[in-house]
Amino acid sequence: MGIQVDFISSESLRSKGSVEKINMILEKIKNNVIVVLEDGLTPVEETELIEATMREIDTEDFHGIEFYRMDHKTTRLRDKIADYISGRKSGLTIVGSARIVEAIRKEPDYISMLAKLEEESSEKKKKRKSKKKGVK
Amino acid sequence: MFDGFGKRFWKKLLRLFKRKKIIQLGFYGPVNAGKTTLANRISLDWLGTEVGTVSEIPHETRHVQKVENVRVATDNGELRMNIIDMPGIATQVDFKSFQEYGMSEEDAKERAKEATKGVIEAIKWLDDVDAVLIVMDSTEDPYTQVNVTIIGNLEARGIPAIIVANKIDDERASPSSIENAFPQHVVIPISARTGENLDKLYQAIQEHLT
Repeated sequence: MGIQVDFISSESLRSKGSVEKINMILEKIKNNVIVVLEDGLTPVEETELIEATMREIDTEDFHGIEFYRMDHKTTRLRDKIADYISGRKSGLTIVGSARIVEAIRKEPDYISMLAKLEEESSEKKKKRKSKKKGVK
Repeated sequence: MFDGFGKRFWKKLLRLFKRKKIIQLGFYGPVNAGKTTLANRISLDWLGTEVGTVSEIPHETRHVQKVENVRVATDNGELRMNIIDMPGIATQVDFKSFQEYGMSEEDAKERAKEATKGVIEAIKWLDDVDAVLIVMDSTEDPYTQVNVTIIGNLEARGIPAIIVANKIDDERASPSSIENAFPQHVVIPISARTGENLDKLYQAIQEHLT
């Protein structure tokens, strides 16, 4: 089984509300996709993501997420004001299921993510595919 | 967007004029940072009762625990607060990690379910606290996403906070790492286990959070 990484552009994120964004992220993560957001979530959205994750955790397949936001420090006054008004803190954000993302570490010059390939049993694969299609 | 800004603005403005006699003080932080040990220490010292049990097994505190009307005598008078000890904030809860401590599968699964509810409850309480102590383990790397998210959230909501660098009685402790990671915040190094520097913490609460 390979690892899929989806990159979501700022433009695509801006067109979504918080709930829509979080649902989209969680749906991908639950399907073992690692998501890279070009535009970071606000801190409030991050807690909403944690809250939504807690609701989704089940004891068998999904036990949470690993995520990391690379802080993007704005230097232009205009950007700072815009960030303050919107409450937004931009920065590339990586989110993945804790089952495949073992750790995301901040090094002085880069971010390091350790992910593992997991063999998926045929039963699990079937279950996931049915879930995706909405079949019970 | 403007609503969020407006709400934060009015909250900050109101805080300038409204000094509460008793503050609702939330204890937030990652799992196993020593929040309940600190709450117990304060409560035992001033009320003679403990708040909750502590354990090396993660997620020992799975429900919000409240102690009302704690009165602490300080150099500047009296500090009155309601202590709200929150379950630790985590991004994942895996029942298998509890089994490593010898717990049965059934008990571990039950603990995991309660732990997820505890995290949700702690997040909900952000709407009702006046001020926060962010408790961090000073033997661990402080620059984690959970710590960054908690701090960012409090800043966005205009809730004043102090960082408590706990476990300084441990020889591996490095409270300066916490100070370096979050230079814009007041950091008080303490040991909840031995009570070291608690007087400094009370003073800081009185100066910055009331």
